[in-house]
Amino acid sequence: MQIQVGPSHDAERFRTRNQLAVAVILAGMLLLTARMLLVQVVRGDRYERYAAIERVRKARAPASRGLIRGRDGAVLARNTESHRLEILPARVEDDARAEALVGTIDELLDLTTTERAGLLAELRRAREAGRHTPLVVRRGLVSTTCPSDSTPMDLIGKAAYRFCPTCGRTYEPVPADRACPADRRKLVATGNGEGLKCPLGHREFHDGGRCPYDDTALRERTHSLRCPTTGQTFNDEVAILRANLFRLPEARIQTEIQREYPYRFLASHVLGYVGRVNRRDLRAFSPDGPPRYGLNDHVGRAGLERSIDALLRGVDGEQLIVRRAGRDEDGSDIAELLAALDPRPTVPGLTAQITLDLQLQRVAKVALAHVHSGAVVALDARDGAVLAMYSKPGYDPNVWSGRLTREAKARIDASPFAPMLNKAVTPFPPASVYKVVATAAALEEGLITPATEIHCPGHYEFGGRRFHCHKRSGHGPLDLVGAVAHSCDIYFYKLGEALGIDRLRTWALRMGFGQTTGIELRERFGRIPSRRWYEEGTGYLPGFALSTAVGQKDVTATPLQVARVYAGIGRGGVLPTVHIVDHYFAGGRKIRPMARPAEIDMGLQPSTVAVLQRALREVVSGEGGTARKSRPDNVTMAGKTGTAEAAQGAPDDAPPEIKRWLLDNHAWFVGYAPEEDPEIVVAVFVEHGGSGGHIAAPVAKRVIDHWFRRSDRDQPGGGDEHNHGDEPEDDPAPAGERREDHADRPYGTMTRPPGWPTDSGARP
Amino acid sequence: MMVPNRLRQGSLIIGLGSLLLLCAAAIYNLWFIDHLTGSTYHRSQTIWLVIGALGGGIVAGMDTGFVRRIALTGYAMLNVLLVGVLLFGREINHSRRWIELGPINVQPSEFMKLALVLVLAGYFADQRAQRSWTLASLGPPLALTALPFVLINRQPDLGTSLCVGLVAVSMILYEGVSRRTLIGVVLVAVLAVPVAWRTGVIHSYQKERVQAWFDLDAQAVQSRRRSHASQAEQALWAVGSGRITGRSDDEARRSVLRHLPFLHTDFAFAAWAEQFGLLGSMGLFGLFFGLLWWGLYLAATARERFDALLAVGIVSLIFWQFLINTGMVIGMLPVVGMTLPIMSYGGSSVLTVMLGCGFLLNIALRRRAVR
Repeated sequence: MQIQVGPSHDAERFRTRNQLAVAVILAGMLLLTARMLLVQVVRGDRYERYAAIERVRKARAPASRGLIRGRDGAVLARNTESHRLEILPARVEDDARAEALVGTIDELLDLTTTERAGLLAELRRAREAGRHTPLVVRRGLVSTTCPSDSTPMDLIGKAAYRFCPTCGRTYEPVPADRACPADRRKLVATGNGEGLKCPLGHREFHDGGRCPYDDTALRERTHSLRCPTTGQTFNDEVAILRANLFRLPEARIQTEIQREYPYRFLASHVLGYVGRVNRRDLRAFSPDGPPRYGLNDHVGRAGLERSIDALLRGVDGEQLIVRRAGRDEDGSDIAELLAALDPRPTVPGLTAQITLDLQLQRVAKVALAHVHSGAVVALDARDGAVLAMYSKPGYDPNVWSGRLTREAKARIDASPFAPMLNKAVTPFPPASVYKVVATAAALEEGLITPATEIHCPGHYEFGGRRFHCHKRSGHGPLDLVGAVAHSCDIYFYKLGEALGIDRLRTWALRMGFGQTTGIELRERFGRIPSRRWYEEGTGYLPGFALSTAVGQKDVTATPLQVARVYAGIGRGGVLPTVHIVDHYFAGGRKIRPMARPAEIDMGLQPSTVAVLQRALREVVSGEGGTARKSRPDNVTMAGKTGTAEAAQGAPDDAPPEIKRWLLDNHAWFVGYAPEEDPEIVVAVFVEHGGSGGHIAAPVAKRVIDHWFRRSDRDQPGGGDEHNHGDEPEDDPAPAGERREDHADRPYGTMTRPPGWPTDSGARP
Repeated sequence: MMVPNRLRQGSLIIGLGSLLLLCAAAIYNLWFIDHLTGSTYHRSQTIWLVIGALGGGIVAGMDTGFVRRIALTGYAMLNVLLVGVLLFGREINHSRRWIELGPINVQPSEFMKLALVLVLAGYFADQRAQRSWTLASLGPPLALTALPFVLINRQPDLGTSLCVGLVAVSMILYEGVSRRTLIGVVLVAVLAVPVAWRTGVIHSYQKERVQAWFDLDAQAVQSRRRSHASQAEQALWAVGSGRITGRSDDEARRSVLRHLPFLHTDFAFAAWAEQFGLLGSMGLFGLFFGLLWWGLYLAATARERFDALLAVGIVSLIFWQFLINTGMVIGMLPVVGMTLPIMSYGGSSVLTVMLGCGFLLNIALRRRAVR
């Protein structure tokens, strides 16, 4: 082993190496220093922002629900903010605190004694059960807009009012002229006679210190906001509560988006309403995709809101919430970092532009004013667009969209007139409007020619039964056109006998009865009975074919179907594709709806169609036509009346006028105009209304008159003095208070509708 | 070679002074980390440092001949221990690195670094001085390196095995390698990396770290979906928050670092850089440089080749750990499990470095003694 002495071994070599090593170390340190400069000086600011992040979480960013607009652009369904006061029961310490809390709320919001006791009891129950879900004290808190129509309210000094803590009524001071401030009608006495109220709506006036209804001492209060449209006064409850939240640490104000329908009763069945999601909706989410519903979401429950819910709803996205220094922020200063978290974007719901013409709809509504129950459907005969669809009685979708009280629901449920039912898409016995089926079938099958004459003695013996014509004295000899024009039953009994029930069914289906129309609403498609259907049920008798030929017995059809069939006849045998959604809007971009089904040819020979058209023209224009009194003012019309025997029994405890109403016939009329080249087709159905010619045809005349008067005068959709479409109904009562017609007339235990056709199901 | 007496004393002051200040910095830093995380590492670290100082003192007084005689035995025993670790070791964080000895866990791989330095220094010192080593003649030292390298890599512990390899390479390069061998080895290494990447010699978690490192910059972060920031990112943000002069005590106490699981070991420097900023970090770099310069100075002035190689080995040991650890913390290098000498908590690591410094002191003292 060689031992080297001293550092002299290769000293030169090692010195170089040493210097090299020092250089390497220095280079490494320099590199580190350069990087430190970058990190701490150049990017220090950014990294400091990043470092301050305590937590980033993704919250649901709910999509806004699309609007529904009418033909002229008026908003029929929109979203508004709604505030509610909630208590978190788990935060309330003890019963004494609960009482104090409810006392404070009472002081701020005026609770009735019942509300107060109920709230206390519920709070106690919730605390005992250890509930963590909030307890809603009041929904729909008034803020800065009118509760009835969302117009901004005016700030006024102080307006006194009185509040009854027993019944919950508020009394305005009696106006000097003793007239209702909303409509100038004379006030009427209420309660014990000391109080006054508007004859329409619910506004009450009283100057005394005791409630006219229950003699409770009234609380004297003041309001500070006035609704410019109705003159009613309110307080900004949200602001009052916010200012006093320090006294209510267990409570909070939650804001939610609420659906609002400014036109209220006008198109309730078309628009429908929304409701809170329930357990069944929540279960129906797609397994892979984002959850469709959040816990407090609204879902369309009826009408368009229901049928195009998926499009209106949009897709909820994600929103990043950055927690820094104990505060939640949106983190806009660290956007480049958050982009890596890739929040799912929110896709707002589509706005639906529908074909409904609000003026026409209003005319239809007014035209039905004198009847209890019925429906009007107006279609554009050229393309099948729904121009008007009004079903009476209606309901206020605002009330049903989350503000429905148990009592109001019970009232509506008990009404014999079925306000929730869209009668335009509900099947009823069509009676004589169905005679076009037998006419077309007999011509197509070659059983008769238009010249075939049949003598009508007023009755016809068949199968041991005497079938009557509606004209007991008989029409005498009639050809086909005359039979239709006079709606002679005997002629059609004989056609029914010759055709048989199954051939009638075949042609009915071909012409569009018993089938869905394709409208974007849920509709029922009625029933066209066959021999087999009877045999499987109650048994078949040959006489059934006779009744079926005149649209009685078990045949049912919806007013919408009837309108479509007649539109088809009017335009030469081709059924239009019925639709109510014209297009959608996403942002400002127009989106065509998915391809509509093609128009369907009825498969009738031109000669048959021509005979039908001639016959329908005779109904209106002919000397003995059943609708001759309802000729439109300045356009030709063709159509058909119908009077369906539909007497129904009522429970014994029903009011006599309801019993009488139920015994009457259904009135039908369907007509198109102008008859040569139809532009509009109108079907009118009045439930237990009486004679089609007398009751239903005038309604159609009013609608058609309005349509042509307007299109004569100006461009469609333009604003003339009749155009009220741009403003919501001027209804003095706040949402949820006004009652439409007889919608809430109490009606015992009778469930509606008695003897309802059972097999006509909803469209799947 | 004449070195003035005074400078020799000065070098000692610089070296040991840097070491002492480093120890103080380490204890303060761990004390701060303990505040963030609610632990007591600074106490244990103090104890380890004291034990290490005592061990270093003993080593400083040892006879080099004796050390060289027991080095090979120690090396062999540590290899046996490394095999034992693989078989019976305690598994922490998916890797077997520790052997339980009563209340403490010993990490043989740390001591192996020092043992390898001693064995390699001994081997090269025994050989006739060569101008340049060829691959063939480097067989024995490469074999001595490869055995622990493979064993440690199996644990898996990429950081320590990398350190072992780098120390050996540094010493061999210091000894001098023929140009042909150098070029050949570099070529092979360049070719070997993709092969190792593909064939699975490099573990997938190690690959992920390397890939993550490429993503550290904000632009790259954008393209990735992640629900939370990685350790490396949080450390980087904390370092950045330090800015030039460091954060106030109050701010530093809310540091993101408190969530880092390896804050007291691998990421200790992040806490330092956040507290003291660029200036404080420069100071720490300066202390390390002082220590390393002392070692290299000793190597240059050592009496024996063994001493010189030993000093170089220890210097490279500290340097590579320092470079890789700080580089990792500030996002310059991928995350590898490597401690920062003295600053990181860990008994085995502290003892190894302190014993190494003991050897440096040994060299320094003996050199003086010769005078």
